[in-house]
Amino acid sequence: MHFFSQAFQYDHPWSHVVIGMWHKYPNSKCTHVVSIDTIDRSIDPQTGIIRTERVLGCKQKAPMWIVKLFGGSEDAFVREISFVDPATQNVTITSVNLSLSQFATCYEQIHYTPASATQTSFLQTAEIQARMALWRSAADGLEKWLVQRFEQNAQLGKSGFTDVLRNLWEERDIGSHRWETDSACILAPFQLFFICISWIPLFNSLRQGHSLP
Amino acid sequence: MSQSLSPECTPLKKEYDSCFNSWFEGYLEPAVAASASSSTRSAYSERKAEEFQQKCGKIWEQYKSCVQRAVKERGLDKLLQQAREENPLVEPPTPPVK
Repeated sequence: MHFFSQAFQYDHPWSHVVIGMWHKYPNSKCTHVVSIDTIDRSIDPQTGIIRTERVLGCKQKAPMWIVKLFGGSEDAFVREISFVDPATQNVTITSVNLSLSQFATCYEQIHYTPASATQTSFLQTAEIQARMALWRSAADGLEKWLVQRFEQNAQLGKSGFTDVLRNLWEERDIGSHRWETDSACILAPFQLFFICISWIPLFNSLRQGHSLP
Repeated sequence: MSQSLSPECTPLKKEYDSCFNSWFEGYLEPAVAASASSSTRSAYSERKAEEFQQKCGKIWEQYKSCVQRAVKERGLDKLLQQAREENPLVEPPTPPVK
C-alpha cells in the first residue's frame, strides 16, 4: 500500500470552488481526461445533499507493453462519487479506477471546505494498493502463456529440424547406413539450439511491440 | 464542456450538464443560508429537488438511457457493479483528516 497526500488553499470562496468543480474539464493541463458522464445523481429532499456518480474516461499514460501484458486498453475509466453538503459546507469526491482494477486500485479522496470567507482548503489523499492475490493469478497466467508459447515454438523447432535432418540424411542414406548410430548425439545439441532460436521472436515481440524501457 | 464516452450521447450530455449547472448555481448559496435551521433546510431542499426534476428530469432520462447503453457496450457495467458492491458510497464519507 502506498499513500499520497497534499493540501493547499484556493483564493476563492467555497461556493465558487464548488460551482467551478463541474467545469474542471476539459482542461488543457489535464488532457488525459477525455470524457465525463454522469451515471447517477440524487438530491436528498431532507438534507439537501447532492450525490453524483460519474464515469471519467482517460487516455492512459502507462507504457504500451504494460497495457498489453495486463489485457487493458488505452482508455481507462474511473468511477467518481461526489457529495455536496451545503449545510456543513463539505464536498468530498472519491475516485477509484475501474480499468485494471483486478491488479491495483487507486483510491483517491478530495475534500473542499471553507478556510475563510474568501478561501477554500483543498485536501487530497490517495491510496494505491496492488492486489497481491491477483498479481499471483496474473503471474500464473503469464507463466502459462509463456509455457504455451514455448511449446508452440519448440514444436516448430522440432519440425524444422526434422526437415533439415531429412534433407541431410536422405542423400547420404542412398550411399551408406553408417551415420545412423551417431544421429542421436548430433540431434541433442541441435534440438537445444532450435529451442533457443524459437524464443527469439518472443523476446523481439516483447521488446519492440511493448517498448520495454 | 467535456465529451461523453460515446459521441452519440455528447449532445444529450451537454444539454443535461447545462441544465444541471444553471440549476446548481442558483441552488448552492441559498442552500448554505437555508441551513440555519433544519426546518428551513428541508423546506428549501424539497422545493429545489422538485424544481430540478421539473427542469432537468426529461433530458436526464434521455441522456441516462444513452449513457447506460454506452457503458454496457464497453463492458463497464460489470466493473461498475463490482465497484459498487465493494464500496457503495451511498453516504458521504468522513472527510480525510490532515
